[in-house]
Amino acid sequence: MNDMRPVERIVDTDTAKMTARGVQVHYGATHALKDVDVDILDKTVTAFIGPSGCGKSTFLRCLNRMNDTVAIARVGGEIKLDGEDIYDKRVDPVQLRARVGMVFQKPNPFPKSIYDNVAYGPRIHGLAKSKADLDAIVESSLRKAALWNEAKDRLNEPGTGMSGGQQQRLCIARAIATSPEVLLMDEPCSALDPIATAQVEELIDELRSQFSVVIVTHSMQQAARVSQRTAFFHLGHLVEYGETGQIFTNPKDPRTESYITGRIG
Amino acid sequence: MTDINASGHVSLLTVDPKIRKRKSAEARFRFYGLGAVLIAVAALVLLLTSVLGNGLGAFRQTVIRLDLLVDPAIVAPKGTDAAEMAKVTTIAYGRLLNRELAEDLARRNVDLTGIPAKDIEGMLSKEAPAVLRRMVLANPDLVGQTIEFDAYAGGRIDGYLKGRVTMASAQLDSNVTPEQLILADRMQAAGLLGLNWNWSFLTAPDASELRPEVAGLGVAILGSAYMMLIVLVLSLPIGVAASIYLEEFAPKNRLTDLIEVNISNLAAVPSIVFGILGLAIFINFAGLPQSAPIVGGLVLTLMTLPTIIISTRAALKAVPPSIRDAALGVGASKMQSIFHHVLPLAMPGILTGTIIGLAQALGETAPLLLIGMVAFVRDYPAAPPEGFFDPASALPVQVYNWTTRADPAFMERASGAIIVLLVFLIAMNAVAIVLRRRFERRW
Repeated sequence: MNDMRPVERIVDTDTAKMTARGVQVHYGATHALKDVDVDILDKTVTAFIGPSGCGKSTFLRCLNRMNDTVAIARVGGEIKLDGEDIYDKRVDPVQLRARVGMVFQKPNPFPKSIYDNVAYGPRIHGLAKSKADLDAIVESSLRKAALWNEAKDRLNEPGTGMSGGQQQRLCIARAIATSPEVLLMDEPCSALDPIATAQVEELIDELRSQFSVVIVTHSMQQAARVSQRTAFFHLGHLVEYGETGQIFTNPKDPRTESYITGRIG
Repeated sequence: MTDINASGHVSLLTVDPKIRKRKSAEARFRFYGLGAVLIAVAALVLLLTSVLGNGLGAFRQTVIRLDLLVDPAIVAPKGTDAAEMAKVTTIAYGRLLNRELAEDLARRNVDLTGIPAKDIEGMLSKEAPAVLRRMVLANPDLVGQTIEFDAYAGGRIDGYLKGRVTMASAQLDSNVTPEQLILADRMQAAGLLGLNWNWSFLTAPDASELRPEVAGLGVAILGSAYMMLIVLVLSLPIGVAASIYLEEFAPKNRLTDLIEVNISNLAAVPSIVFGILGLAIFINFAGLPQSAPIVGGLVLTLMTLPTIIISTRAALKAVPPSIRDAALGVGASKMQSIFHHVLPLAMPGILTGTIIGLAQALGETAPLLLIGMVAFVRDYPAAPPEGFFDPASALPVQVYNWTTRADPAFMERASGAIIVLLVFLIAMNAVAIVLRRRFERRW
């Protein structure tokens, strides 16, 4: 498989799930993100690439307001989910995060059983009417995360006892158990070996049929493999955003070209 | 340098003087460290042998084993009606004991030559008649029966059996005569005198200056237990709530910085200052009774709070942020992420801090002196909650109290009380370890 050649993919839809206009982020005196405009399309995998410290993770964390937990972070501009401003005063970030799920860089399962890990979200949001409902949600989430066959016989064992790749898929199962509309993934494979990475990537492609997925990655091969659209960040600016194939084969901006050919970064 | 051969390479087989210097510095440091540990261990061994050597005697008590006829003519001259029996005083019981002692001595053929009659009566503790009276009043069926009664021997006789009193010291002592010690030897040979396991050391109340043989820790243990209960019930929820608020919710500004610095300082404030505070606020201002466990508990709560807050905050800080992110990421509220995930993970640290704080409070003496818990209390406090307001003593105060008394027999009691205190502390620390193991979860 030639990793650098993006497969022809059809973008299913052109409707924007999330739109960001003029997003600015300051961490104290540092201007981390400058004037970013991005449309995240529905049922699409969007990859954010760029060198370390370019602001791609920061932008990802703006999309479900995880930056709220950082005391010194200030977010400006406008980010809309289905046309509603998520930074509106009336928006409760807790409600937002139920619709915009997140998977983190390092697998971080709760120190609870596999079952409880997946069932936690549905429980606190009251998504299951009965134990049978909850069982069904847990099973379908684990199936979607391609973990069911490995986990079905050990649902009551601690999630922290699994291997790294399994843990990350458990975290994905946990994130999709609340049926989010957008799934944010912050370098989900950086702590995984190539086999586990391949599994997670396959999973991301399958998840695309149900959610829009936004993935931050350091690996350009990965961006090329899994995404339909790619955004390139550099020094807090969004340099270029477009179809993955176009970005990798015919970048418009010289900086993008330098980065993907390995000259900056 | 000589080590360098012709080609300029340093041979690995010869040791560089710099390396040798480093190695000897390391060896010296190890030696100092080992020395420090050995000094500490030696001090501990010395302390324990001294305390155990002095104090174990308190758990055994010299008794005179009497076959005693509870003579109705003396204890129930007007029948076994409870009100009538209660009118018979301790003095009458004393007469009964003296008579029975004389009879038993005769029955066992103990040689009484050269021993004055007054000295024979002096063998018994002054508390023995009172013990017998309480026993008979509690169980009137004993009247007319012959019972085996272990009467307390006097404090000096007890000291003689434990090696504290000798013939030489008895010569100089107005409380005991050498003849009594000779008699004690003869009675012991006849099986009339011996050492019993002394439960009453743990259950009996304190006794007066003249009766060390019956002084016990009952009131002090009860008082300490009541105070620990109050400290636990008040300081754990308040301390944990304050820590969670300060650590997770409070905005980081000058005010919270000031509060933080003050909490750290409070942990270092001398405990007697808390005693003065308790005296001023709880007794003089709030009008709570003196010597009461409630006041002691409140003062110790104030003292324990900084310890609990500091350890709880450290435990909360130690929970990895990835767990908070994970909880927030699936849409948990801040409160849910704390109570469902952070707090359970911090639990072992919180419990350890709490129990260490409690152990500290259990051994605290100075503030209790100021709020009047040093008083001589012979009545047991009632059951809680009323008992919280009754006068009581406390274990460390009892130790202090006994060490200030003149009779050397109290030294033994004080060491015994220290042993009891240490056992409680060890038990609490063991509980802390067990709880930590049980709650500990890996991530």
